[in-house]
Amino acid sequence: MKIPFRYNLRSLWVRRVGTFMTALGIGLTVAILVAMMALIDGLDSTFVNTGYPNDLVVIRQGSQNETNSYLDRNIFPRVRFLPEVARDENDEPWASGELIVVINHERIAGENESSNIVVRGAGNRSFEMRPEVRIVEGRRFAKGVRELIVSRSLSRRFKHMKLGDTLPIAQSEWTVVGIFDAGGTAYDSEIWGDYDEIALAWSRPIYTSFLVRAKNEEGRAALARRIEEDRNIELQAIPQTEYYEGQTISSVGLKALGVFIAVVMGIGSCFAAMNMMYGTVMARFKEIGTLRALGFRRRSILASFLAESVLLALLGGVLGCVMALPVHGISTGTTNFASFSEVLFHFRITPEIIFRAIVFVSLVGIAGGLLPAARAARVRLIDVMRD
Amino acid sequence: MKYFRLLITNLFRNKLRTLLTASSIGASIFLVATLMTVLDELTNPPETPDSALRLVVRHKISLFNTLPTSYREKIAAVDGVEAVIGSMWFGGLYNHQGTEIGLAQFASDTDQFFQMYPDMVVPEEQKQAFLQDRSGALVGRTVAERFGWQVGQTIHTGSNLFPTEVELTIRAIYEAGGDEGGSVYFHWDYFNELMNDNGVTGTFSIRASSPEMLSAIAEEVDGLFKNSMAPTKTETEKAFIMGFVSMLGNVQFLISSICLAVIFAVSLVAANTMAMSIRERVREIGILKTLGFRKAQVLGLLLSESLFLAMSGAALGALSARVIFQSVPMQAISNGFIQDFEVRFSTIGICVLIGAVIGLIAAGLPAWRAARRPTLEALQSVG
Repeated sequence: MKIPFRYNLRSLWVRRVGTFMTALGIGLTVAILVAMMALIDGLDSTFVNTGYPNDLVVIRQGSQNETNSYLDRNIFPRVRFLPEVARDENDEPWASGELIVVINHERIAGENESSNIVVRGAGNRSFEMRPEVRIVEGRRFAKGVRELIVSRSLSRRFKHMKLGDTLPIAQSEWTVVGIFDAGGTAYDSEIWGDYDEIALAWSRPIYTSFLVRAKNEEGRAALARRIEEDRNIELQAIPQTEYYEGQTISSVGLKALGVFIAVVMGIGSCFAAMNMMYGTVMARFKEIGTLRALGFRRRSILASFLAESVLLALLGGVLGCVMALPVHGISTGTTNFASFSEVLFHFRITPEIIFRAIVFVSLVGIAGGLLPAARAARVRLIDVMRD
Repeated sequence: MKYFRLLITNLFRNKLRTLLTASSIGASIFLVATLMTVLDELTNPPETPDSALRLVVRHKISLFNTLPTSYREKIAAVDGVEAVIGSMWFGGLYNHQGTEIGLAQFASDTDQFFQMYPDMVVPEEQKQAFLQDRSGALVGRTVAERFGWQVGQTIHTGSNLFPTEVELTIRAIYEAGGDEGGSVYFHWDYFNELMNDNGVTGTFSIRASSPEMLSAIAEEVDGLFKNSMAPTKTETEKAFIMGFVSMLGNVQFLISSICLAVIFAVSLVAANTMAMSIRERVREIGILKTLGFRKAQVLGLLLSESLFLAMSGAALGALSARVIFQSVPMQAISNGFIQDFEVRFSTIGICVLIGAVIGLIAAGLPAWRAARRPTLEALQSVG
């Protein structure tokens, strides 16, 4: 017969101080893990949410990233007018030639701390092909003048990037005329300006990438093949979504750190739970004897103590998730290892993260409770009577 | 110390509990020691008397912009400059057993290379062999061991920056130096030839004649090119390296918060154990007091027990971190990002101190309560 669950609840309540301390200890571990996962998820989702599958990023073969690529200006028409490229209602191809330059700029926080920031030389098509980039303050940059628009996240974290500020880069002064929001995509870590002005100021009359749109999903592979097969221009065409997903390598270090913490602290928490459970088993020696005398089976006792351990751990899990909740939405930045420049993102706690945390504590509860529960199940009536 | 045996006997009365508590403290401190070492690695790059004499000149806009090699002569003429060499980050890619692995590969001026890096340990005949072979390479011991490279071997490396591939013969293997043996160097002349003689480089390293000259040199160099097409930013080698760390974001805050949370968590766990253990001994403590032990002595006994337990757990955790990471090839795992991962003795010392704090926090309240409890009441307790 099963031992009523209420027995476990009451047992935990009787030792509430110990229960709470152990649960809080486990909870802190869970909080660390949830915060780590939120950090990783926030960083990854920045890349995963960026791009459209039918848009291809065209870069030089072997360059792996826009920041390392350079393409001759006269190649652009050849790619742009390929028959596989989609056209708009005016029969203009959906294609955008862009130039990425990188500036090293000082953060607002920290003294002398600086980071690399991507500046995109863009045109009208750049906006049209990325409708998620919306101006939230000011206006777009004008053609032929040294004006820039800055993402809202960058403008909060870096010096001289507020609306109306003058940004001194590349030996000239640029005015910030607009602040944009790119809906949590990778563009939220960029500065945009007029292509011609940037090419001129940096003396780089080239493109670093083309963005071209395939007519449909079936046409995508054909377009990519067509671009890559041209032996005279060694190009690489990658679906935009895939291109950005590839940049999730930026979180590899954090993931390794997260797994390491989970394993080490998981073991530590198991010991803590085990300690608490052994203590409770020893203290309830007579109680267990009574349960046995009442006719409860050894396996019922095992199950009951195991359940109590899992319950204790779950309590810790819930506490941990609650403690970690405030990190949700905090914005932070790190280096995107693919482009070697700053990427800004938010901590993101998702239901999946909570689920994983709960699975983790359940495992801690089972692993920590198994031995003490087995000990409880082995209690012999004769020993209890002698005690 | 005369009570030491009593202390040990008390600790071993419940061996399992002592073991479990020490292990959970050990596991947590293992993590703390590891994280502290990571932080140390990132924020305190190894500095030698030689590296403290070096400056790095880069393009003011960012590292992505190149500098003309003509700058070298002008920099060399600056007062206090002993040697100057240009280096270009090659973005090397090496195909190791089917996967492309990024290399810290530089195309460097070689004529003053060893004047610049006297802290590199290279056998003299290898030095000469490297200098004389235009397609020779100088590789770090850790990279060489990772890929099983030998002196005399030919390697091919591609690049994610330049549309080219180089074929190099390994002529020398170095140890130590600023990068702890993690880089691959080859001749800039060879690189320039492949680049159709475009005459650019990425950064210049300067060796100053004395540490006092550093800031004057930096100022003068930046002044020289202030109004040119490629203005520069000159900083110490250490500041240059720290620049990369600062790009990672607020790692320091992340790691310190994790450490604090871990320490707090394990303090709670230890406090719970100590409370359990002291609660069971109320009667015994009453007997001790009847025998003439004073409150302070009882308190001291209980606190030392907890201190001893927590500190040994911490020492165990930190020491095992040191031993374990000695046999883990961190450089290969982190793909060269972490060069030399060693849990220092100073870190272990700090961890033991953290253990002491945990021990005091854990036993403080229950021990104080137990010591203050009236003797008669303690003796009547049934535990």
